[in-house]
Amino acid sequence: MENCCGEAVISANIGTAQPSDNEKLIEQAYEALAGGGSENGGKVSANNGKPSKWEKWKDNFKRRGWILLFILPALVYVLIFCYAPMYGILIAFQNYHQGDSIISGDTVWVGWDNFNLFFSDPNFWNYFSNTFLLCLLGFLVGFPLPIIVALLLNSVRAKKVKKGLQILYYAPHFISLVVMVGMLKMIFGSDGLLDKIAGGNGLELFLKPEAFRPLFIFSGNWQDFGWSAIIYLAALSGVDPALHEAAKVDGASRFRRIFSVDLPAIAPTIVMLMILSIGNLMSCGYEKVILMQTDGNRVTSEIISTFVYNFGLGADGKPGLGTAAGLFNSVINVALLIIANFTSKKLANQSMW
Amino acid sequence: MKNKKTVAAIFAAVMCAAAVIPFSACAYKDEDEGHEFTVLTVKEETVKDYNTMPVFRELAKETGKDVYWIYNTSMQYSNNSNPVGIKGVDAIYHAGFSNLQLYNYGKRGKIAAIDQYLKYMPNFSKILDERPDIKQALQSPDEHIYSLPRVEEMGLKQYPNLLFINKVWIKELIDKNDPSVSGIKAEDLKDGLKLKRSKYKGILEKFKQYHGDCVPLAFVSGNWQGNESDFIASFGVPENAEHKTIVNDKITFTVESENWFNAIKEMHEWYKAELIRSSAFTQTQDEFLARGQDGRYGSFYWWEKETVVSKNLRDDYIMLQPLVDDATGKQYVGYSNEQEIEKSECVILSACKDKAGLLRYFDKFFESYYSAQINYGSIESGAFERPKSKDDMLIPNDDHGRQSADDFRMKNAPYGVIYLGKEVWGTGVQMESRAQLRLERLETYTKNNAFSGTIKPIPNLNYTEEELDLLSRYETMLGKNINSWVVNRIIAASAPSVSDWQNNLIKANKTAMEQVKKVNQDAYDRYLDAIK
Repeated sequence: MENCCGEAVISANIGTAQPSDNEKLIEQAYEALAGGGSENGGKVSANNGKPSKWEKWKDNFKRRGWILLFILPALVYVLIFCYAPMYGILIAFQNYHQGDSIISGDTVWVGWDNFNLFFSDPNFWNYFSNTFLLCLLGFLVGFPLPIIVALLLNSVRAKKVKKGLQILYYAPHFISLVVMVGMLKMIFGSDGLLDKIAGGNGLELFLKPEAFRPLFIFSGNWQDFGWSAIIYLAALSGVDPALHEAAKVDGASRFRRIFSVDLPAIAPTIVMLMILSIGNLMSCGYEKVILMQTDGNRVTSEIISTFVYNFGLGADGKPGLGTAAGLFNSVINVALLIIANFTSKKLANQSMW
Repeated sequence: MKNKKTVAAIFAAVMCAAAVIPFSACAYKDEDEGHEFTVLTVKEETVKDYNTMPVFRELAKETGKDVYWIYNTSMQYSNNSNPVGIKGVDAIYHAGFSNLQLYNYGKRGKIAAIDQYLKYMPNFSKILDERPDIKQALQSPDEHIYSLPRVEEMGLKQYPNLLFINKVWIKELIDKNDPSVSGIKAEDLKDGLKLKRSKYKGILEKFKQYHGDCVPLAFVSGNWQGNESDFIASFGVPENAEHKTIVNDKITFTVESENWFNAIKEMHEWYKAELIRSSAFTQTQDEFLARGQDGRYGSFYWWEKETVVSKNLRDDYIMLQPLVDDATGKQYVGYSNEQEIEKSECVILSACKDKAGLLRYFDKFFESYYSAQINYGSIESGAFERPKSKDDMLIPNDDHGRQSADDFRMKNAPYGVIYLGKEVWGTGVQMESRAQLRLERLETYTKNNAFSGTIKPIPNLNYTEEELDLLSRYETMLGKNINSWVVNRIIAASAPSVSDWQNNLIKANKTAMEQVKKVNQDAYDRYLDAIK
């Protein structure tokens, strides 16, 4: 954090301060940074006359602390929309009904009852494995795809072709979910295009449990692979052309350069995005699942988040049970995130914290 | 430097404000101020504004109450997780709360217990006194009444499925001397044709052969009307959309019967033969109606044929009697659990300052003169012929110019709180001609089916708090599990086996079925005691 701020201070000041101030500022900033990493660890006593780490920080804050104002809006946003609503998880431990206040004298606390109810549900393992399989398969297909596309796009020589392809690939991202599922139903549903061509029953994929996952995953990736590739393309644009030229001189083929120059260059981005996706592994969005769900495919399409939707929000629903199930899902996500981060720290020496 | 700081401060302030603005509360506009009561109703945009409906103006004049209607569309309303918390609203019309919601809101004092105001409600009290079944249906576990009902007793709702068939296509087969129609003469092709199930199947197969693009048998699976229940029932099992009914005063799940399993097996065969299309299990009611307009259906189950096929093709279809079971030679029909007494049409919020006054207003709704207009549209808008006095019987006006009767009603009738009990028909209000026709058909062909006397639909039951809790835990999921099994087996490549049915349906849902059965049986026993 300190490092971050230090850099921000430097760059913010370089841009605008007078040349005479400039050198002084840089010097001070580097001093501040160096202070953080010094062997004395900031424990320098007042005896030798040098200011302690704390004093330096205070001094720095007084002069440039206003720059922190720039992160204030983001902080406020996160606090209000991400942290403040979290008190709602208390519902998981209550016998709650729509319209109750979450904490009041009348609140009925039920401890772990809602969790017990959820875990003892005869279909619990079914929901759990459906969620896990759907999201895991989605990740296995959906994660490498944009990387491959980005690498391929990056090695297209003609700029115009590259641009054109890129637009073609990411355009589907802007189709709204409801329209998207509508399109799927028109093509793969009853009386849909495939059904019509085949002429008769047998191709109503929306009623087949085994067709649900492929439909969900491939339609999702078709829609998003181009969009997800953008971040990798951005990382690739930062690769020094000199590296490519050097490789060329050494006789590296186009294919070889992708593996030896491009891929290592975007490796940190890949690792970071991988950690983030693993952290979201158990949440693959209930909206699309609900839209695609039919009595026919319920066997594979009932996942934890649809359970939360059906039980937390229905007229006869139990918000407590729904929240407990949702909380359980989130806990798994956090655990996965920590494991992924730890593993990548050990293996690739890269991590989020 | 100063300048930059100011810029940064402004930037921060603006961005923070942008983050917080969505939180500013949105209350209802000032329009409703200055009115004595504000009632929130749930209606679609196509329905006329209640404030301009003649029947409500007349009611306001008669009672001297100034009621202002505001509305939510059903979509907006269902997105509101706490409708009873809306500020400035005195009552919710078309509230549609479940038993559990009514009880919970009532217990928490969010909605008023209407039974405490009965002295201001002569019409409603009279109904409750004369009809213990209505009273017990409305009571919550704490014996309070939290909502006003809708009572419309025409005797139609128990049988939501009639079977229609394309007579022109049958005529074609007769002209071809096709063996599938042997024994059927051209003059037999009128309402009330009686067919064995196997014969019917043979005809549908020919429909499929000669009209490749047709849907031989169409229905909307699991819908409240026009579902497959009566097809399944024809095998000798009293099926309905909820798969539960009362056999000799015992709550029973139809899926446990072997006849039911045989029906599903047969449906699988019909599906394979493409007599039933997959759309039957995925389409909505509206999609079904849209697809039927151009006469693509060889045969279909629905409430009436008029809404399904367009006007010029209507005469092509005739009504069939319930299918005759080949094995027993009997005609069976299932009994729907759709209620003629519906609760939760209107709730009074505790925030209402003059509950007695507002209930005095709503009490007028139960007079048949107003009930009829609320149910079909105002006299002034042309739903009924103008009576000489309020005590005359209301005669419905069938001619709405270019509008269909349904369209007219959807636009002009607010529906909701009414009392049109059995005794009102023919004295206070005359039945619509199409309802009369349907009733006659049911009397002639349906009501005396082989189940008559042994099977009853499940009435409006009154559950305890504990029972409501059990039902919310088991009932929804059980229904979903059953429907899911049914669809999967019907569309599967091979026919379902007895062991599959026993293990994956009956045993897998044993706990849930036992619990739901027990809860309903206890409640039904109490019901029988209450109406003695």
